[in-house]
Amino acid sequence: MHPTPTTPPTAPAATGRRPRRTRREGSPVTLLAVPALVWYLLFTLGPLLAMFYISGLSWPGMLAPRSWAGWENYRAVLDDPLFWQAVRNSAIQIGVVLPVMIVAAFMVGYYLTLKPRGHRLLRVVLFTPALISASAKAMMAYSVLAPNGMLNGLLDTVGLGGLGRAWLADTDTALACIMAIDLWNGIGFTAVLFAARLGSVPEEIYEAAELDGAGHWRRMWRIAFPVTKDYVGVTTMLQFLWILFSSAQNVLLLTQGGPGNATTNLSFLVYNKAFVQSDLGYSQAAGVLLFGVGLVGMLAIRRLLRQNY
Amino acid sequence: MSTTKQATRAPRGGARRSGRSGRVLWGVSHGLVWLYALALVLPLYYLVISSFKKTTDIFDSPLTPPVDPVWHYFEDAIRYARLDLALVNSALVTAAALALTLLLALPASFALARSRGRLSALLERIFAMGFLVPTFAALVPTFLMAAYTGLFHTRTFVILLLPAGALPLSVVLLTQFMRTVPPELEESARVDGATTWTVLWRVFVPLSMPGIATVLLLNFLNFWNEYLYSLVIIGPDTSQRTIQVALPTLQANQATEYGVLMAGTAVTLIPVYIVYIVLQRRMEQALISGAVKM
Repeated sequence: MHPTPTTPPTAPAATGRRPRRTRREGSPVTLLAVPALVWYLLFTLGPLLAMFYISGLSWPGMLAPRSWAGWENYRAVLDDPLFWQAVRNSAIQIGVVLPVMIVAAFMVGYYLTLKPRGHRLLRVVLFTPALISASAKAMMAYSVLAPNGMLNGLLDTVGLGGLGRAWLADTDTALACIMAIDLWNGIGFTAVLFAARLGSVPEEIYEAAELDGAGHWRRMWRIAFPVTKDYVGVTTMLQFLWILFSSAQNVLLLTQGGPGNATTNLSFLVYNKAFVQSDLGYSQAAGVLLFGVGLVGMLAIRRLLRQNY
Repeated sequence: MSTTKQATRAPRGGARRSGRSGRVLWGVSHGLVWLYALALVLPLYYLVISSFKKTTDIFDSPLTPPVDPVWHYFEDAIRYARLDLALVNSALVTAAALALTLLLALPASFALARSRGRLSALLERIFAMGFLVPTFAALVPTFLMAAYTGLFHTRTFVILLLPAGALPLSVVLLTQFMRTVPPELEESARVDGATTWTVLWRVFVPLSMPGIATVLLLNFLNFWNEYLYSLVIIGPDTSQRTIQVALPTLQANQATEYGVLMAGTAVTLIPVYIVYIVLQRRMEQALISGAVKM
């Protein structure tokens, strides 16, 4: 009878503790993560490394023989005026779209947190671009911007038909159209993200400032922004990558880089050289440079928008 | 008491203090926000009404609803671009890729959630870094990989490929959910003689259902909407290509009427909007939690 009361408290404690300990320190269970890891590395890291390798090959088309070219492709890329035009177009695109998008989205996000009349409906509307695929968005943009599309029709209706033009086929407006689509696409959803983050800012922080009579403008930039700077930074980084890399889709579907090369940006150049002009070495050398631009830009944004308190 | 009173009154006080210019600014911001909202909705509205209008009517009165609606554009779009086959292909690719994603991500998240070793911390960091690798960068090598594996011009390769891009986010989100499962539950299951596998499927999976729903919704959107990789890998074969690849072929044909293009675009949006209407809150939550994945 005596041992029974003493054993139960120790026995469960021992069985409860022992497996936990052995499990938590590099046990075979960690092996369950291996298939996912292998899958991920095979389809992401593998192709990424291959990009560096291919950039050193002379490879004029998939079925053509390939040979080692060393730095030849990089020299060709850097000597190519088209590459520099693509750099310029990408720089304009990022330089205009990113600041406008983030500032506008932050303001709309702040506006949402004030719960003005109709904010529920507004939130649903702002989600729209996040649901629609790139090809459907491009088809919609085409139907709006084509010579006999919605925009020209509207201008005609209000008596400004003289302003109408083939927006996507005009050297002066084609790149602006691609940028407008980026903004159309990005502001709404980013604003909802900011609103979600701003919603978790404790009310006391605002209240403290309100007693000093701060208006919305000051509340927004002096309080809300510094408090959420880190989140804004990460979002900016992701939007930067998105605009830099994924706008190839819009260019491909809407302008094919034209008219002339007015809308050829870096990501479209990488696509076009590989799949239209079949110069895989050139394409991947440009791809490596683009990857470098993405990396540097990301670090710069991280530095610029780091939480500093 | 007095402090709360002051606090609740303060917002109005703040607005009043900034006076008329403040009110004007406030009015302007209302206007600007709703103008942007209008810009988001107008193309959708235009898309829907134009699906029922003749080309001349579309241009002459772009925003008026169809007077005598033309119904055959939907049928034309489906026939020209074989959208019927494409819908089936998209459904197949999306469903298979979702299943594969869960099959890979669930055991991985389980492993990461319950071990605290240095190795699993490293693995988790590798997955977390995955968000920052832009998928576009690997487009050309992935295309070559498809060519060399003999799975070129098939849906199969896309089904294998899509989960890879989805894994980082899925693993990180699911790991967070599985961390909340109390270890006592596992221990009592173990006492009853459950194997690791049983613990995963009978304890962890049922308790992480909200996380699984988030991952499924998010990846449903991404997989259904994926365009560039499908275009490059699957190519023009109507029996293999997905709806996103099939749709733009309507535009490439210069003779196509606008109505057909608009009706075709509307068809591609229907599945997404059905899911959105049914699961609106959940989908919004999923998109928000999935957007900034760090």
